[in-house]
Amino acid sequence: MIFSDVTRLAVRNLREAKLRTTLTSLGVAIGIASLVGMVSLGVGLQELTVGQFKKSGIFDSITVFPENRAFRRGGPMRMGRRAAENKAPEPSKPPEPLDDKAVQKLSALPNVREVYPNLRLPVEVKYENFSEFASALGIPLSSRGEGVFQKITYGSFFNNDTDDACLLSMDFARNMTSEDPKNLIGKTLSLGYASAMDIAGALANLPMGGMNVQRVEKKFTILGIIEREPGPNFGGGLFSSVMIPLKKAEDAGATDFTNPQALLQGLSNKKSYMMITVRVRRMQDTEDVEKKIKDLGFNAFSINDALQGAKKAFLILDVLLGLIGSIALAVASLGIVNTMVMSILERTREIGVMKAIGGSDWDIRKIFFVEASLIGLVGGVVGVVLGWSVDKIIGFAANFYVTRQGGTPAQMFFTPWWLVLGGIGFSILVSFLAGSYPANRAARIDPIKALRHD
Amino acid sequence: MAAIIEVQDLKRHYPMGHTVVRALDGVSFAVQPGEFVGLLGTSGSGKSTLLNLIAGLDTPTSGRLKIFDQNLDQMSREQLSLHRRKNVGIIFQSFNLIATMTALENITLALMFAGMPRVEREQHAANLLRAVGLSDRAAHRPSELSGGEQQRVSIARAMANSPAILLADEPTGNLDSKTAKEILDILETLNRQEGKTIVMVTHDAVLATRYAHRIIQLSDGQIVANGTSHEPAGGTA
Repeated sequence: MIFSDVTRLAVRNLREAKLRTTLTSLGVAIGIASLVGMVSLGVGLQELTVGQFKKSGIFDSITVFPENRAFRRGGPMRMGRRAAENKAPEPSKPPEPLDDKAVQKLSALPNVREVYPNLRLPVEVKYENFSEFASALGIPLSSRGEGVFQKITYGSFFNNDTDDACLLSMDFARNMTSEDPKNLIGKTLSLGYASAMDIAGALANLPMGGMNVQRVEKKFTILGIIEREPGPNFGGGLFSSVMIPLKKAEDAGATDFTNPQALLQGLSNKKSYMMITVRVRRMQDTEDVEKKIKDLGFNAFSINDALQGAKKAFLILDVLLGLIGSIALAVASLGIVNTMVMSILERTREIGVMKAIGGSDWDIRKIFFVEASLIGLVGGVVGVVLGWSVDKIIGFAANFYVTRQGGTPAQMFFTPWWLVLGGIGFSILVSFLAGSYPANRAARIDPIKALRHD
Repeated sequence: MAAIIEVQDLKRHYPMGHTVVRALDGVSFAVQPGEFVGLLGTSGSGKSTLLNLIAGLDTPTSGRLKIFDQNLDQMSREQLSLHRRKNVGIIFQSFNLIATMTALENITLALMFAGMPRVEREQHAANLLRAVGLSDRAAHRPSELSGGEQQRVSIARAMANSPAILLADEPTGNLDSKTAKEILDILETLNRQEGKTIVMVTHDAVLATRYAHRIIQLSDGQIVANGTSHEPAGGTA
């Protein structure tokens, strides 16, 4: 018997018992609706949380450290430290320096969008009577509109990397002035910093192997103020209150005194960085690129490492919500078994006739399997629509309430395509399994007894 | 000519409570191709049990049952369903048409199990309905047909897969004598013109002797008489 005929028979059988079919499918629909609704909530919450991370613009960046700078105690370097420990048997080999050659090597990796060194210099910020030590971070122009720079609260982002311009964090700006921070835009502040310059020839004569540090003070125009400081990994391991164009930071010949290695290497006329930021083309490339960087002999860290734990937690949440949602589906599947068994009792004689005119056990089994699966298909489709609609209504009501309470509305429920198709597929699968007992029972019916059945 | 049906010491016992019902208790006979055999006997004589065994709806307790030289007693359930589909067509006393299907659909169902494509089987079923004189009843459900009409649909269905053997279990039991005669005439025509081998179970000795070439009489699961009928088949009609 060919499949289309089996389906035709199954459809006609279901039609003969419209009310029963409708009620059973509705049961399945409610089961699927609760499942889809629950998982949508899990996925929605995950998207909401991950979305916050995404806004911070750190998903596509990897921070690269020299191999031997692995943090000893905790911190975000767990993976990196492990990598460092694994390579412990080669102590004689010097670590790969983070110099311009390293920048080139990293740029050459596939799926890498941009590579820039993290230049952070300790500065003294002076503005009118205000004076405070802070850390100034070099920001590449490509960061425009990304991460924390998506929203410039006042003023604007750097126009070019030649102007002496700076951006401030809101907190820092509030410290600088008692007025509205908005008024700082266009004003000038001065940054004082130490610069280690190579002065050819003079180096050898200087004490301490040629340390030549000058104090430089420069005027910078305040171009903009942003709400949040660039966090860890976005161009620096620490928060920075003042941001200047990356080019400016390079030109300043700034030396990070917290990095003695850089200081010493600076003497041998080889510029070296404490950290380099590698940004990948797409978020999903992060893990792969991070691995490649480690293979090159550097240490690397990305927020993805930290997110692995969060992802696991969400997976558990999803499974838990899915299980709760499945309770109704389990009940519905019992409904299918019940409906099918009833249907067999009613159609016992018909099954006998089918066998008498040449229907095999397998033919009978197929008819019942397809009937159950069709109930699952209809229930699945209706259930997904139902679940989605209920989510929309609850989401709308919740946001209405949240907005009235002065909060920001958020999308709690999210129903991705895989959930829609998965929901329908799961419904068919569950119905198919529920139909297996009745189908086998129907297939094993003794035709003689069936033909005598009233 | 080799026998189309060969039965040797066939037994079918049913356990019933603490006793065993010997529905068939050592039956032996053979049916030649093209024969019209009447299985005569009272209620409980084992004639229906014998027919069910030949149909492959039941399996014997012991003995040998050969159709087309194939041992039915050793066939699997799957093989038996193939046997029912290809070798035999069954006609029941109570017609056993599927109530929710039209006359035409009842016939196409049998062709569906044989895997015949849709257009072809509808054409074939329409031809079969015409052959039993029911072309105008194709779209009617069994409840809209008279007993005689239902039995004719049932004959058309039994003929659907062109089996060599037609098995009829009291085919006229639920019909008045006029209609009964019409139905038996159809069977006789199929036997004469198309050479179908027919095994008909009946308790009506008059009908059996009128149509069957040979009558096998059963009593308590055993053959008590096996011989040519006294009157020529078809009788005076």
